[in-house]
Amino acid sequence: MKLMIDGRTIEAEEGQSILRACLSAGIFLPHLCGHPDLEPLGGCGLCMVEVEGEAEPVRACMTEAQEGMKISINGERADKVRRMAMELILATHPADCTGCPKYGVCELQSMYQYMGVSPQRWRCKGRTVPTDDSNPIITHMFTRCIRCGRCVRACEGLRGVGAIGFARGEDGAMRVTIKGNSLQEAGCRFCGACVEVCPTGSIVDALGMMRDDRSREDNVVPCRSGCPAHIDIPRYLRYVKAGEWEKATAVVREKVPFPETLGSICTHNCQGECKRNHLQEPLSICRLKRAAAVRDTGEWKERVRHEPLSGKRVAVVGAGPGGLTAALFLAEKGHRVTVFEANAKVGGQMRYGIPAYRLPDAVVDKEVATILEISQGSDPEPRIELVCNERVKDVAALLGQGFDAVLVTVGTFKGNVLPMPGHDLKNVYVNTEFLKAARVGNPQPVEGGRVVVLGGGNVAYDCARTAVRLGAASVDVACLEAEAAMTSTPEERDEAAEEGVVLHDAYAFTSINDDGAGKVGSITIHKIARFYFDEDHRAVTELVEGGELTLPADYVIFGVGQKPEDTMGFDLELTHGPYVVTNDELATSVEGIFAAGDVVTGTKSVIAAIAQGREAASSIDRFLGGDGDISAELLDYEEPQKELGKAAEDFYSKAVLPQFTPGDERKRGFEPFECPFTEDEARCEAARCLQCDLRLGITKPLLWNEY
Amino acid sequence: MKQLETDVVVIAAGLSGLAAAVSAAENGARVICLEKASNTGGAANMGMGPCAAGSPVQKMSGITLTPGELFRRHMFYTHYQVDAKLVKAYYDKSGDTIQWLMDMGVQFNSVRPAFRAGERTKAYADGEYTWHVVQPEDGSEPGPRAATTMTKRMTERAQDLGVEFLLETPGTGLITNEEGAVCGARAKDKSGEEIEISCKAVIVATGGFGHNVQMIHDLIGLDWGKNLFSFAIPGMDGDGFNMCHEVGGGHTPVTMEMMYQLPDNMNHFYVEGAFRQPCYWCNRLGERFMPEDEVFNTTFVGNAINHLPGKVGFAVFDANMLKRWKRQGPDIVSHVHPHDLYEGFEAQWNADLETYKDDEGNPYIAQADTLEELAEKLGINVEGFVAAVEEYNAMCADGFDALFEKDRQFMIPLEEGPFYGCKQFMGAYGTLGGVLVNHKLEVMTDEYETIPGLYCVGTDACTIYGDSYNFCIPGNTMGFCLNSGRIAGENAAMLAFGGGEDGDWDDDWDDGADDDWD
Repeated sequence: MKLMIDGRTIEAEEGQSILRACLSAGIFLPHLCGHPDLEPLGGCGLCMVEVEGEAEPVRACMTEAQEGMKISINGERADKVRRMAMELILATHPADCTGCPKYGVCELQSMYQYMGVSPQRWRCKGRTVPTDDSNPIITHMFTRCIRCGRCVRACEGLRGVGAIGFARGEDGAMRVTIKGNSLQEAGCRFCGACVEVCPTGSIVDALGMMRDDRSREDNVVPCRSGCPAHIDIPRYLRYVKAGEWEKATAVVREKVPFPETLGSICTHNCQGECKRNHLQEPLSICRLKRAAAVRDTGEWKERVRHEPLSGKRVAVVGAGPGGLTAALFLAEKGHRVTVFEANAKVGGQMRYGIPAYRLPDAVVDKEVATILEISQGSDPEPRIELVCNERVKDVAALLGQGFDAVLVTVGTFKGNVLPMPGHDLKNVYVNTEFLKAARVGNPQPVEGGRVVVLGGGNVAYDCARTAVRLGAASVDVACLEAEAAMTSTPEERDEAAEEGVVLHDAYAFTSINDDGAGKVGSITIHKIARFYFDEDHRAVTELVEGGELTLPADYVIFGVGQKPEDTMGFDLELTHGPYVVTNDELATSVEGIFAAGDVVTGTKSVIAAIAQGREAASSIDRFLGGDGDISAELLDYEEPQKELGKAAEDFYSKAVLPQFTPGDERKRGFEPFECPFTEDEARCEAARCLQCDLRLGITKPLLWNEY
Repeated sequence: MKQLETDVVVIAAGLSGLAAAVSAAENGARVICLEKASNTGGAANMGMGPCAAGSPVQKMSGITLTPGELFRRHMFYTHYQVDAKLVKAYYDKSGDTIQWLMDMGVQFNSVRPAFRAGERTKAYADGEYTWHVVQPEDGSEPGPRAATTMTKRMTERAQDLGVEFLLETPGTGLITNEEGAVCGARAKDKSGEEIEISCKAVIVATGGFGHNVQMIHDLIGLDWGKNLFSFAIPGMDGDGFNMCHEVGGGHTPVTMEMMYQLPDNMNHFYVEGAFRQPCYWCNRLGERFMPEDEVFNTTFVGNAINHLPGKVGFAVFDANMLKRWKRQGPDIVSHVHPHDLYEGFEAQWNADLETYKDDEGNPYIAQADTLEELAEKLGINVEGFVAAVEEYNAMCADGFDALFEKDRQFMIPLEEGPFYGCKQFMGAYGTLGGVLVNHKLEVMTDEYETIPGLYCVGTDACTIYGDSYNFCIPGNTMGFCLNSGRIAGENAAMLAFGGGEDGDWDDDWDDGADDDWD
């Protein structure tokens, strides 16, 4: 239908309000309580218009557009009512905006800029409401509330929660309040819809929730931005909650080819970012990934990208998580890939570093087999060839052997040994060798002996717990950091303690002492008050007087970091010793040779290596003439349910824990000791997700200066 | 990464950025204006109007103040510690800038002084009629935020001229070529996508670092939230300040235009307003530190507090004074706080008494039946305070302030409980200066060599105050923002068309060029 706005004819849809019709025709009409996603309320009175034939101005948001309507926005009568309405709004809003976090992005500010309503005509009313920062995640500064009711409608109408509503205060004035003593008591879902729709600084993200160095989207959904591979976490948690394991895994698979591996061992930075850290406990995102992956049936496989063969060949040197990820995405883009692996089997640290009780071979085998299967697809020949027991010494030579590009993903397989007295005694071991030997079934002996592990990271704990399982009489861990600063996860330390591992934190390593026969007899360590790095990046330790401690020991294991081997001979530009230098595109100093993963970044994590593998695949594809697009759509997008309903009591509970084999039992063998979540456990845990991403689906109203 | 190309990039759409964008576009340049927020206008949206001399509004009102007179006055106040050529260029432009704004549809309600000094201080401390207060769109009396009508008109004007605003897209850096000239700018949009804009000139207008606590600590030496409660407008993080220095821009002293306020004053507006009166003001030893008839001069009081022990002052009144103000209205009428504030005072005061405290639980305000108790609660030295008040009360009885010669009419003793007191801290509007510019607003290196293609305007370039804001020439910050922006916009457009080689746009255009160009 057609209607006329200030002499201009516009199209409107049947049933559309005059306000919506104007806005969608690109004509700005002041409004504050109106919001594109919310039912109209007709409360603010700013969208007044005059309709020809009507005696009084009408609210455009509440008036349906009719064929042939003649409307005037700035008629004198409409303008008068509108200005009065604005004056009433501003009369109770603080006149000084300078302390407000919404300054510059405030809709009310934009509106008074547009309308130019002076504050002097209002009779200011003291209506101070103390700032309420007692709730997690959301802060209320109701002094700034203009009673537009958007938050109430979002909470009730959009989300079906109804945690906030209008009430009369002691002074008789109507205001928005929390329906209870706290948001939790009111059944709040902490979805942030109220924050999103608030046109002023009345309901805001709690201080520190929004970091300046992140985009808005990353701030709103911090788990997803915290994941190096940016897996769409809220989306797959919704599928887990619904018991749709297949779809959940497909979402994970859109970014990473190792869902079950990651579900077992990921360092889960996402959980550190989860907003529920401020509300009981973060989601067990990692475990939920495993819960879905073990129930996957592989239906998504038919939707894997499979571009025609490009005729190009890529060599990948090192079959760890980064190399295998890159191989898969390169193969999907149509390139043939040969993966060279120095060890007898592929998997890198997933097979030779991470102990079997955390990640059994079968899981790695299964996920590698899936990579080979999906990359071959319907082709007669495999696109990825794995060449094991082949240590590449000259990566540049590969370019002359029919490969159009080379990717170096050799990781960090050489354990560090500190040059302390006694480091060369017999029975001093190094993390990488010790773990690998145990993993291939030919362990370095520790049985019946007293073992001391030096180092405080997860790898040191892998060594300690492996030593427990190999039958060590006792296992102690000593590290420079105080416990709070240790890089190992708290779970790792707790589980190790359950298995009998004793921690000595904040100790400097003095010497490994000879037993008189050239073997380890004891180790001397010294308590420190603190340590730091001086201007030359040298570690400085402040010893505690009288803090010396000598532990009897038969074996010492260095768990103090690891670095790349072989790279010195690669003829690539290196940094900090053996690490390969790359640019933003992960290209090395030699054209056609790329590098990714730990060999570039230093020892990080499986997920970080996978993220780099993805980037490398994209860069190499572009180098080979492709578009570099490795995105995947393994399932159709489904609009999430916007209505959440009031939170049930157990919504505020702590994380669900899976079944564990008790410490006494598990320390006898290398069997995995953590069960995947049962279906019920998984669904229950996933239901705790705040679904922060729903907030991104709320339309942002355009300001006058955007019309 | 998105690649764009234009003639002039303006980084930030506050008052100086809007002025720069409009004037560059009026002079034919294609302009992209980056803005971190979704609203244009920046800090100016809080203000009421700019300073100018020789404007049509002043002439109509019989105010004969000339740019030259104002220049002399300004330089006298700053003891020539600032760039005279820059100050003169600003005031010379200012009258015409008012006309320029009027041509855009901005109306001015009146030209005002910020205050009128009492007879005894008039000769050296009177306020000038320079403050061009914007007429709000609805025709009503102007108050805080009146200037939004001006920023709206400027935004509309810029849009009409084809200026492309990229909102919620902060500038992140400058791009230089091999010769060191600025030839582009980088930005990041709200989705996090990087944008690179190549251009012929960049005008940086990002408004200082009033929101950056770390930079305030490092560069000003004050601790926000402890001894400083300045305006912290989100987004004013020193982006442009740092950008200019990253490409070799020179350094100037940085200051804040000091004033005074209560912490979180927006939520305690009536309490704050109630104490801005010539009652009894003292330091933490209990001793007075200035004639209280000058507390209207926020600059002076802010500076005075900066030099008190602990950088904190105290204002105290008694039940008699409160009764009088309730009956007659405040002694000093503020253009910021509501005139009828005493009507709302008690409700807020009583609500605040238990809750208005710092992080360590020390109250910002207190009420007590005796002077001793009040001093105790607020952390003023009890003996010192009681002795000093006794002396003060005696002087009130004499009708003469032998210490500071405070105006007699305000010599009212502190006698009748309950006594009301509050702590007064330094506040500020933002930061000033830091980037070395010349009178054309070209950024210079520390060696005073210009960096081709780079201009800095607004508060980052506002080095003209010396150590203190000149409260006697009101509207100055907005005035400098507008005129620096406008001058830079004109020069940048000229540069974009290859006319900036000898850089004489500003000097010669009016004088000799007319004949040649007609």
